[in-house]
Amino acid sequence: MTMFDYDARPVTPQLLLIGTRSSAGAYDIRDFLTRNGRPYEWVDVEDLEEGTRLPQGIEIEARLLPICVLPDGTKLAPATLEQVAAGLGMVSAPSQAEYDLAIVGAGPAGLASAVYATSEGLSTVVVEAVAPGGQAGTTSMIENYLGFPNGISGNELATRAATQATHFGAEILLARRSVRVSPDRAGYTTELSDGTLVSSRTLIFASGVEWRRLEVPGIEDLLGAGVYYGAGPSEALGCRGSHVVVVGGGNSAGQAAVRFSKYAQNVTLLVRGGQLSSSMSRYLVDQISSASNIEVRTGSEVTGLDGDGELCGVVVSSREGGVKDLLPADSLFICIGGTPRTEGASNAGLQTDDGGYLLTGDDVLTHAGRPGAWPLERQPLPLETNLPGVFAAGDVRHGSIKRCAAAIGEGAMAVALVHHRLAEDADD
Amino acid sequence: MTETAGSGVSQFAELASDERIAATAEALERNGIRALVVENGEQARSSVRSLLEDGAEVFNNTSRTLEQTGIAEDIEGSGRYRPLRLRLYQMDREMQGHEMRMLSAAPDYVVGSVHALTEEGSLLVASASGSQLGPLVSGAEHVILVIGAQKIVPDIATGLRRIYEYSFPLEDERARLAYGVPSGVNNVLIVNRVLTPGRVTAIVVRERLGF
Repeated sequence: MTMFDYDARPVTPQLLLIGTRSSAGAYDIRDFLTRNGRPYEWVDVEDLEEGTRLPQGIEIEARLLPICVLPDGTKLAPATLEQVAAGLGMVSAPSQAEYDLAIVGAGPAGLASAVYATSEGLSTVVVEAVAPGGQAGTTSMIENYLGFPNGISGNELATRAATQATHFGAEILLARRSVRVSPDRAGYTTELSDGTLVSSRTLIFASGVEWRRLEVPGIEDLLGAGVYYGAGPSEALGCRGSHVVVVGGGNSAGQAAVRFSKYAQNVTLLVRGGQLSSSMSRYLVDQISSASNIEVRTGSEVTGLDGDGELCGVVVSSREGGVKDLLPADSLFICIGGTPRTEGASNAGLQTDDGGYLLTGDDVLTHAGRPGAWPLERQPLPLETNLPGVFAAGDVRHGSIKRCAAAIGEGAMAVALVHHRLAEDADD
Repeated sequence: MTETAGSGVSQFAELASDERIAATAEALERNGIRALVVENGEQARSSVRSLLEDGAEVFNNTSRTLEQTGIAEDIEGSGRYRPLRLRLYQMDREMQGHEMRMLSAAPDYVVGSVHALTEEGSLLVASASGSQLGPLVSGAEHVILVIGAQKIVPDIATGLRRIYEYSFPLEDERARLAYGVPSGVNNVLIVNRVLTPGRVTAIVVRERLGF
């Protein structure tokens, strides 16, 4: 038992979540709570011994799972993520009728924009679907981020950045997606998934990317039931002693493999490419090499899944053909590539490249086949989309460098351009 | 163990008189510790609320006193502060050990109690892990201690006896129930004087709180 087991557990009742490991709904709630830094007690009913009495006299009915008991005693059954977020007071309405700047996404780019914008006096609101940090927020330990010689976890970086942004006065609206953007009198109105409308003079899309979907038969049935997109930070403890498979050759996959190796019996890292070092930072390759319970399989891909309601194996095929292998697996974490999150962008007429990434700056004018889409006499500003006053920063932007520090740089730069646009607006 | 605890109950559970409380408060002030005397736990809770800055990082030490008065609930559940216990609890111990040590070492505020307060104005705190002691001595920017007046003792020797004979058996029983492990008087902190004015506030409550 460490000092933290003894001295750092909450002393007041926390949220209690009861469900099955094979429940996608329960996973969504665990993921949301973990990524937002909200402690909870998780009870997997499949692990309960017969006759075990649950806290607060709760009776289990399969049709009512997952059950959530909020700290104030309110019981939600079956609980949804939206209900839990609202019950914890995490869903707030925008406090202002209009903002200087709205930011879609609270990853590194969005949070950097929020910090710089608010510190420079712009009224700013950030819209985030899940939790501050974006993909970087799920990273177990970033060891090459400038200024942190001992490394910093993505969650800690996100927590600090969100605290900094709110300290300066930014509002962060959680647990709702941006679904539609449309021009209005002042600038733009962003509609959120719960119908909330946010009006702002300028807008930064910093919505990042989501993991690329794996095309394997039956995968949809096992999502949240052993198969997860991303590093699944809520699942690390639950992997103790189990067989874990991670798919991907980038740093996110490498960091996930290292983290799970601390808990799992063994971790298999499946990489499509011929060697790990071509796509992963050296420090991670070294850590993986020195971990006795991580096996790396290059030139491999997942071609099938074994499981009935819950994952129990992964079919791995050699890319050169011929060799197929069934790996026992309790969990599969998919950390490959990414597709841009641009929900709400297309209906607004924002131009994208063929991969769906937002075009900005000179690319607005020069990208093949889309002349005449820019309405002003001046040229688009460097991070400006084809809609004046709407900018893109970070991974969602065509041509961006997919690194946390680069996203933060773009987020800061976008704010300087927002000032330019607001000054221009004032001169009109 | 039980006999020892039993023999100490009447002595160490008895509230100090108003005169002893007043004299102890004066002694605390002389030692550089701001002293507030309140009537009950509710007033102590209000005092803590008025002392804590909104948005501050606050670590509430493991303390029956804080639980009894509702102060722990205010810190962890009100949303007014950034409660460090909650943040530490959800961190990955394997990957974030360094961050956890850094965070727990230097909060804006640490709120806790003591096991004995002497009439000479000294504070005695025992800890099994010792993790709570560093922030009390120097790590935390501000320290707020809520102390039931039954913890007032004549001197340090009696204070140490109070820890071993009274507080420890009760804390040991609590730890076994709560964590399934025994407690221990593994570390003892004695604060005789505080050099930074205003850093440490002791709220002495005319009510039996904690042990």
